[in-house]
Amino acid sequence: MPSVRTLGLVVRTVDVFETSLIMTAFTRDLGKVSGLAKGARRLKSPMQGGLDLLGVSDIVLLHKASDALDLVTEAVPVERFASLRRDLAALYAGYYIAELLSDLTDFHDPHPRLFDAATVTLRHLGEPLLRSRRVLRFELACLRELGLMPVLDACAHCGVEVEAEGDSFAFGLATGGVLCPSCRTGQPHVATLSGRTLGAIRALASPGNAWRDPELGPGSLGAVRATLGAVISHHLGRRPRLLPFLGA
Amino acid sequence: MASGRLEALDRLIEAFGRLPGVGAKSAERLAHHVLKSPPEEALALAEAIRQIKERVHHCRTCYHLTESSEELCLICRDSSRDPGVICVVEGSRDLLALERAGTYRGVYHVLLGRLAPLQGTGPDSLTIDGLEERVASGKVREVIMATNPNLEGDGTALLVANRLADSGVPITRLARGLASGSVLEFANKEMLADAFSGRQCF
Repeated sequence: MPSVRTLGLVVRTVDVFETSLIMTAFTRDLGKVSGLAKGARRLKSPMQGGLDLLGVSDIVLLHKASDALDLVTEAVPVERFASLRRDLAALYAGYYIAELLSDLTDFHDPHPRLFDAATVTLRHLGEPLLRSRRVLRFELACLRELGLMPVLDACAHCGVEVEAEGDSFAFGLATGGVLCPSCRTGQPHVATLSGRTLGAIRALASPGNAWRDPELGPGSLGAVRATLGAVISHHLGRRPRLLPFLGA
Repeated sequence: MASGRLEALDRLIEAFGRLPGVGAKSAERLAHHVLKSPPEEALALAEAIRQIKERVHHCRTCYHLTESSEELCLICRDSSRDPGVICVVEGSRDLLALERAGTYRGVYHVLLGRLAPLQGTGPDSLTIDGLEERVASGKVREVIMATNPNLEGDGTALLVANRLADSGVPITRLARGLASGSVLEFANKEMLADAFSGRQCF
């Protein structure tokens, strides 16, 4: 049975038996993995607290050839995010990131950039002024990495450049982006976005510093939150459990 | 139903299989053990299960377990306990672990869970309202947070502390860091960091 070592962010744990747990981690090199950590809840466990939720650990997995769960043989804590233990809003945002990584990604499908985006976001959740923007940026990074990013610059159906009707754009949740007036008819789950909201989503998705622009006020961020929440709910097939806990 | 299967036995296997940590094979083994055991032994088990569901309920004050004849648990009824100090725990098993240490003489408040929104346990699932009422009575001098020292436990403590923040009652938490009898060499950096931040006067 070959063993593999990788950095992983623990996104889910379930207690099993008296002292063991099943952990799910989003790892940098292997993507999402699950494994049984025998005796991990014992005081003198070799896991040394390395399987605490939302912590980055150096994890060693023993791969099972059969359908049985992999075994976690070692987990050494590498990074803890202190703000999650000091600030309830930061903790809820962290749980939301864990939910997205756990439920939107597939097993053994690595996305190193998504792993890096998650750790950078978790590291900065203690900054209340930029917290909601960082979470929105992470959601967009997550959608982009997983190939689910909504099309924002052209019609998601026919590809032509989309112009606003007045100040509003049609946004197809099922189609995956903005829609031109001729494609809008007959499309299911179409929302209407203001030009300001669409501009805010573009700014938040862009690589520069436009996402820090103070012009993106709470009004437009609230609309972006609702839109991205709807997009993610569409891909998950349900509303994320943590969505009601997030502020605008 | 497959040939040779018995409906009653299958029902028992299914019931055992729903218990935590019991897989299909173990459930089958337990069911066959019950089948082989003397009738009085098997019926005593059934009676014990019936009684625990009928007679045991939560204490009106602290939400620990108590018998149906009493509204308050043994600890809340004990006049030698200090009602001015409340130790907040996630579950009754944590309370029993603290009681086994035998060093704490205050009272408890059992939250009946921990804040775990990923598993569907939100703030409304916990007994924080009851704790707020107890603290609002004005007789409480200190609230000790004894939730588990992991992210969910710390999050639960944070939630409770936020809810009690306006009461003015001091909120403390159990010390953490190096375990008695351990050695520094094998302590991880989290333990050492906790031990340094929680150091005390010698």
